Amino acid sequence: MSFLAPLFFVALAGLAIPVLLHLTQREKKQIVHFPSLMFVRRIPYQSVRRRKIHNWLLLMVRLAALALIVLAFARPLISHEAAAPIGAGSREVVVLLDNSYSMGFGDHWQRATSAARDQFAKLSASDRATLVLFSSGADIQMRSTSDKTRFNAVLDTVKPGDAATRYSPALKVAGSIVAESTLPRREVVIISDFQRGGWRGEEGARLPQGVTLTPIAVQGAADRANLSVTGLSMARSTFSNQERLTVTAVVTNRTERPVSGSNIALETGGLPVANKSLNVEPGGSASVTFDPVTISSKNFKGTVRLADDALNADNSFNFVVSPSEPVRLTIVDRGNTDLYLSRALSIGEAPKFESVSRQADALSDEDLRRSAVVVLNDVDVSTGLARRLTKFVEQGGGLFVATGPRATWPQDVDLLPATIGNPVDRTRGDAGRIGSLEYGHPVFAPFRAPRSGDFSSVPVYGYRNLTAAKNAQVLARFDAGAPAVAERRVGNGRVLIWGSTLDVTWSDLPQRSVFLPFIHRAVRHLAGYTEPQPWVTVGQVLDASVAPRGASVQRVVLTPSGRRLPIEDEGSDVVELSEKGFYELRGDNNQAMTVVAVNVDPVEADLTPIDPKEIVAAAMGGSTEGEGAQPNGIPLTPEAKEKNQRLWWYLLIAGILLLGVDTLVSNRMAKT
Amino acid sequence: MAQDFQAISGARFMDPVVLARIGNLELVARAVVDGFINGLHKAPYFGASVDFAEHRGYVPGDDIRRMDWRLWARTDRYYIKEYEAESNMNFSVLLDCSKSMDYGSKGITKFDYARILTACLTNLVHHQRDRVGFVAFDGEVVEHVPPSAKHMETVLHVLDRLKPGRPGNNLKEPLHKLAEHFGRRGVLVVISDFYEEPEAVLDAVSPLRFRGNDLIVFHVLDPTELEFGFSDAQPFEDLESGEQMPVVPDAFREEYRSLVKAHIDALAQSFSAVRVDYTMLDISKPLDHALYRYLGSRAKMMKAR
Repeated sequence: MSFLAPLFFVALAGLAIPVLLHLTQREKKQIVHFPSLMFVRRIPYQSVRRRKIHNWLLLMVRLAALALIVLAFARPLISHEAAAPIGAGSREVVVLLDNSYSMGFGDHWQRATSAARDQFAKLSASDRATLVLFSSGADIQMRSTSDKTRFNAVLDTVKPGDAATRYSPALKVAGSIVAESTLPRREVVIISDFQRGGWRGEEGARLPQGVTLTPIAVQGAADRANLSVTGLSMARSTFSNQERLTVTAVVTNRTERPVSGSNIALETGGLPVANKSLNVEPGGSASVTFDPVTISSKNFKGTVRLADDALNADNSFNFVVSPSEPVRLTIVDRGNTDLYLSRALSIGEAPKFESVSRQADALSDEDLRRSAVVVLNDVDVSTGLARRLTKFVEQGGGLFVATGPRATWPQDVDLLPATIGNPVDRTRGDAGRIGSLEYGHPVFAPFRAPRSGDFSSVPVYGYRNLTAAKNAQVLARFDAGAPAVAERRVGNGRVLIWGSTLDVTWSDLPQRSVFLPFIHRAVRHLAGYTEPQPWVTVGQVLDASVAPRGASVQRVVLTPSGRRLPIEDEGSDVVELSEKGFYELRGDNNQAMTVVAVNVDPVEADLTPIDPKEIVAAAMGGSTEGEGAQPNGIPLTPEAKEKNQRLWWYLLIAGILLLGVDTLVSNRMAKT
Repeated sequence: MAQDFQAISGARFMDPVVLARIGNLELVARAVVDGFINGLHKAPYFGASVDFAEHRGYVPGDDIRRMDWRLWARTDRYYIKEYEAESNMNFSVLLDCSKSMDYGSKGITKFDYARILTACLTNLVHHQRDRVGFVAFDGEVVEHVPPSAKHMETVLHVLDRLKPGRPGNNLKEPLHKLAEHFGRRGVLVVISDFYEEPEAVLDAVSPLRFRGNDLIVFHVLDPTELEFGFSDAQPFEDLESGEQMPVVPDAFREEYRSLVKAHIDALAQSFSAVRVDYTMLDISKPLDHALYRYLGSRAKMMKAR
C-alpha cells in the first residue's frame, strides 16, 4: 500500500488531541463554585487522578476515528500488482476492436491494431483471448485461444468496414464470452475511437461481476481536413420526353480546419460527368448543385465523390434512380361509365397512373399481363373472367370491384372479400353514410388526422348488401352496419371491394374531395407501389422479395466487393447490406433486376469522442472502472489507481462512524 | 413577636417559625456583664436587687438605707446588706460576610441562614431589654452597629442590605480590631464558616473574650461542605481565592469528610477549652430546632452552674 498524500500523516500528531481531551475534558466542564478548597487542597490523590486515562475504550475509539480520517486524507492506494498474488490465475481476455469506417481516419486503424497486438503479446501460456470486431454488430474473429500467431495473422487481414459504431452489441458479446469462461481473471479490452454517436445509453450492455473493462482510445489528429457528403437531394424534370435529374449534395466539414477549393464530382455509371469546387467553414456545411443529368435507363447509378482526405469512407455518396414508371391499370366497365374514375386517375405524378378501359368481354390476357390493377366498375362478371382474374390476383395483381346495380360475381369463384347481396335503396328517408373507417389500413391512413377528409358526410343512396368473407378485412362500414369497403389477400395479390358505384348514380362520392385520394390510395395499395429509395444505409437489409413479379426463382445478390450471395427459395431472402456501393439483385439471366445504392451512415463521420469512462461505468454498473493499465498499456499513474480504488472514501466513512460511536459512548458514560 | 417589625425590611429574616420556637427561651449571659438596667444577667456590681449577696461592715459614706437593722439589734454592729445586681447586657453579633458564606446548595445560603440566626437572636435579646449591636466583617470590618437598646431596627436594616462579596480568609485582623471596641462586657456571638485552621480561628476569636465577654460561636456549614455530595469530576473554584482545581469527588469524598470532621472536632475542642460555646449549624436543618436545642442546653448549663 502506498499513499498519494503522505504529508497528511503529519496530522497524526493530532492524535494527541483526544488524549489531552480525555485527560482534560472532564475538568473543563462547568465550574463548581465551592466555599473553600481548604480541605480539597490537602488531598494528594487529585494530581494522580488528572493524569490517568479514565476510559480506554473511549480513547481508543477517538484515536481510531482520527487515524482513519488522517489515513483517508493521505489517499491510500493498493497497487494492483502487489495486491494480486503471483500467479493468481489465468486470464480470459476479450479484445473488442472497433472496425467501423471512422477507424479509417488517419492512422487510427494502425494504432488500434497495434494496441490489440500489445494485448495479445501480454498473454501468458495459460491465458486465453478472444478477438471481436465490432461496428454496428459484433463479429467474433477468434475465440478463447492463446495462439498469438493466429491473432496477429487475423489482425493483418482485418480492415475497417463501412458500418457505424455501436458499443452495446460488442459489450453484450464480450459479456457472454466472459460469462462462460471458467478462468479466474476476466478482462475485456475495448479498442475504439469512442465516437459519441455510437453510444446510445446502456441498452443492457452490462458486463458480469468481477470483469474489468479497459478502454483503449485511439483518437487525435482532429486538425486534419475531413469532409463528408451527408446527403443528397434530387429533383426530377422532363426535357424532350426524357427525365432529367438535378442532384444537390450537402457537404459537411467535421473538423476545425476550413476547407477551400476542394473538388467534388458527380459520377454516373462510374464516369465523372461534372466537377465542382467548394469551400466549407470549420464545423459548417455547404451544398453543391450539379447540372441536370438525363436518367437514361432503369437503375441509373450515380455517385457524388469528394477528393481524398483523412477519412475517405464518407467521401462518396451513391444513389440509384430509375425513370418514373406509371402504375398501369385496366378499367372494366360497360363503356364510357368511368368518367370520374379515369379523371381521378389522370391526375398524379408520383406515381403516374396509366389506365385503359375495356368492356368485360374484351379484356385480354395481354391487358392483364401489363396491368398492375384491374378495376371492375359495376360489371357483370362471367365465370371465365372471374377465373382469369383469380389467376391474375394470385400472381400479385390487384383487383378493385365497385358494386353498382349491375355488379355480379359467379358464386363458384372464391375471390372477392365479400359476397354481393341485394341492393339497398336509401333514396327514401336519410341517405346512407359511411359510419366507420379502418384508419390503420394504408388506404384510409391519410384520412386519420382531423380535417383530412370526411367520408361520413358523403351521402350514399344505394349500395349492395355485402357479406364479408371469413378471411377478409372490413375497412369501412355503412351506417346500417353493412361492409362498405373490404379487402382480401389472395395469393400474392389483393382484392378490394367497394359496396357502391364509382359514379354518381348511387352516391355523391365521386364529387367529394375524398374521392381522388381514396382512389389513388386504393390503386397504389393494390398495385403494391412503394416510393423508390435512391439509397439506403449500411446496416440496413435488402429485401430480395422486391424483385418484380414473375421473376425467376433463382436469384443472386452481387455485393459491391463482387461477392455473389445466392438467395434461397425459402427462408432468407433478406441480405444485410454491410458494404457501401451498389448491391445488385440478379436473376437467372444475370440481368440486374434491382440495384440498391448503399451509403455509410453519415453519423459515423462525426468523430466527436465520448469519455470512455461513461461506457465503462455503464458496462460495469457505474461502480468500478477498468484499472491496471492505461489505453496504451502503460501502467496507470498512482493518481488514476487511487481514483479507481477510492479507498479513502471507505476510510472516511469508517472514521465518521467511529466518531458516531464515540458520541454514543461518551453520552452514555456522561449519564452514568 | 415579629409583627412589630413588619415595616422593617430586615424583618424578613426573623423567621416566625424560629421565633415561635425560641420565644419562651432566654439568652442569658453566662458571665457577668455590664449593664445599667436590671435584667437577666449578673452584674459585676452589687446594687439594688432582690438577691442577697453578703454583709459587710459599715463604712462612713454608705447609704444608711442599706443598713441591716436586724443584725445591728442582735450584734450591735453596723452591717451593710449587699445584693447582687442584675443588669442588661450588650449583645453583639459578629457576622462573617465573606464570599465563602454566599454558598448554599439547598436553596438557602449560609449567609442567609446566618442572617436569620442573627435576626432571631437579636430579636430575642432585644425583648430581654438587652442592648443589641451588630458587626459584619470579612477581611475587615464591613458594618458596625454599636450595641444599644434602640438599635434593633438598625441592625435589621443593616442585615437587609448586607451582601457578601469580598474574600475574607483572615479572621484575625477584623476580630482583633473589634476586640478593642467592646469595652463593656457583654455577649458576643460570632457566626462564620471558619475556613481557617482551628488554631488560627482560636487565635482570632480569643481576644474577644479578654474583656470578659461571653462568647458564643456558631459555625454554619452547608451539607455539601459536610458530605461533599458531588458526582461528576469537575473543576472546583474557591469562592474566596478564585483558585480552580480539578476535583474527582468520588475519589475525594471520604478523605474530605474526615478532614472536615477533624476540623469541626478540633474547633469544638478548642472552643470548649476556653469556655466558648461552639455550635455547628447545618443549614439544611431547620434553624428553630438547632437554636432551641442550643438555647435549651445553655439554660440547663446555666442552672447547673
